[in-house]
Amino acid sequence: MREISIVGVGLHPWGKFKDKTFIEIGTVAIANALKDAGVEWKDVQAIFSGIYIYGGNAGHISGQYLESVFGETGIPVVNVYNACATGSAALRMAYNSIAAGEVDTALAVGVDISPEGFLSAKSDNPRQDRDVLRWRMAGMPNPVYWALECRKRMARYGTSDEDLARVKVVLSQYGAKNPNARYKKTYTLEEVMNSLMVCDPLRLLEVCATSDGAAAVILSASPGAVKKADRPVKIAATTMGSALYGDPTLRISALSAPAAAEAPLLSESYSASRQAYKKAGIGPEDIDVLELPDNSSWHYLQYLETCGFCGEGEAEKMLRDGQTQIGGRLAVCPSGGFSSFGEAIGAQAIWQVVEASNQLRGRCGERQVPDAKVAMAQTYGLMGNSGTTILKV
Amino acid sequence: MEKTQTQKARVPALPDLFDFSGDSVRIRSARCGSCGTYFFPEYHAQHRSGCSREGVEPVLLSNSGKLASYTIEHYMCPPPFKTAENISPYGIGLVEFPEGIQVAGLIMESDLDALQIGQEVETITYALYRNEEGQDVVTWAFRVLK
Ligand SMILES: [Zn+2]
Repeated sequence: MREISIVGVGLHPWGKFKDKTFIEIGTVAIANALKDAGVEWKDVQAIFSGIYIYGGNAGHISGQYLESVFGETGIPVVNVYNACATGSAALRMAYNSIAAGEVDTALAVGVDISPEGFLSAKSDNPRQDRDVLRWRMAGMPNPVYWALECRKRMARYGTSDEDLARVKVVLSQYGAKNPNARYKKTYTLEEVMNSLMVCDPLRLLEVCATSDGAAAVILSASPGAVKKADRPVKIAATTMGSALYGDPTLRISALSAPAAAEAPLLSESYSASRQAYKKAGIGPEDIDVLELPDNSSWHYLQYLETCGFCGEGEAEKMLRDGQTQIGGRLAVCPSGGFSSFGEAIGAQAIWQVVEASNQLRGRCGERQVPDAKVAMAQTYGLMGNSGTTILKV
Repeated sequence: MEKTQTQKARVPALPDLFDFSGDSVRIRSARCGSCGTYFFPEYHAQHRSGCSREGVEPVLLSNSGKLASYTIEHYMCPPPFKTAENISPYGIGLVEFPEGIQVAGLIMESDLDALQIGQEVETITYALYRNEEGQDVVTWAFRVLK
């Protein structure tokens, strides 16, 4: 197998940019990645681009639109959508294209400008899109799903309101020091615990917002490009997983789940992470930095278990003991997480990889994880859909 | 002209999801005779890997089950959720039926703070709004059994 490295990364900061187009912010991310890598546009031999579902025809062929800004060169441009794991899919395809020897250097990019107001059903046909059912029949926005799982966890393991609030307190310290974050305010436990109750037991500051942003990564196996790069980061694994039969998670969009579990909760993420450990030949104990999908405080806790960083019901203790903080056993979301950035569906998985690679390249200043050698980025997408990327220096 | 049919007082917001023709309200599930999987709604099939998918039969779930989890939504759900008025805060429950499937839905309870995991609940209908024909447009919902 060829050794494949990240040689350049680029972002457009996260925020709300309703007057910008996905093409404009995507262009910024790609230009930054090219500059970081010192790679010429003509040396990019393939593009894997996240489909931007709110962008009409253009958004569905986002890669071609972005290519035309930099100059069309006739290379393969493939667009892919896997909900919140879209970026994982693009990255994995870029990796596989290089691994197969088709090309030496490829670009993975993801862009999102979320529509105004709440996200809602995108079709009106319940027979093929069960998403319609949860909106029309049960009034269930996404945080309802997170709250239902969170309540179960609280009953099972004694997760406290304070644990849920502490996640935000910890992450807000990092977000405040990350120039690309949307939310830069720090919070105390008391402030979080007094914030508005949104979806009991989850408060406003314990669920993530929807944001706009763009992220790009340039991967290469070309010895010249790798040599030229500033501290290239090796990709030890980039995998995707789907759910396992009998997963008891009430998945977003669904209105039912099996009563008797025959598979782990969040089995798609269990699947992706275990594939990645196997491919990388390492285990969770070897990871220094973890970017996990903290859509809510519940996700933060649950993902520590799902990805094998602790046993069932032990995540709260890791958090309380400071083991998940910079300087602890495992630095969790030293970027500030979705908590400080918000979700940008098509872009967030690539953003996580950008943040994880920046840690390994020692670029994170005040929120730098000391001596970080191995990092993992874990995504969570709709309908049992997940990606894991493990990076090494 | 004489009316030959009396107009129904209640119509479902979407068809084929629950049955309220009898004395009790029952959620319409389906069961695969080959792999035993229950799924909901009955038109979104799910099977165990390798199943022949033969012998799928519609099943009406029991009228009552146990509350497996719940939440209180403090903000009104955006469209296409449609109700006659703003019902927030409102309860949503995940109910475990004896058949071996959990189903989510609105909880209609005056004291949402008294909800507890493990409570016995029954399936009822809830009138979301009244249509132009004067009929109640209903969904399924849950209520704590006293
Ligand atoms: Zn079957």
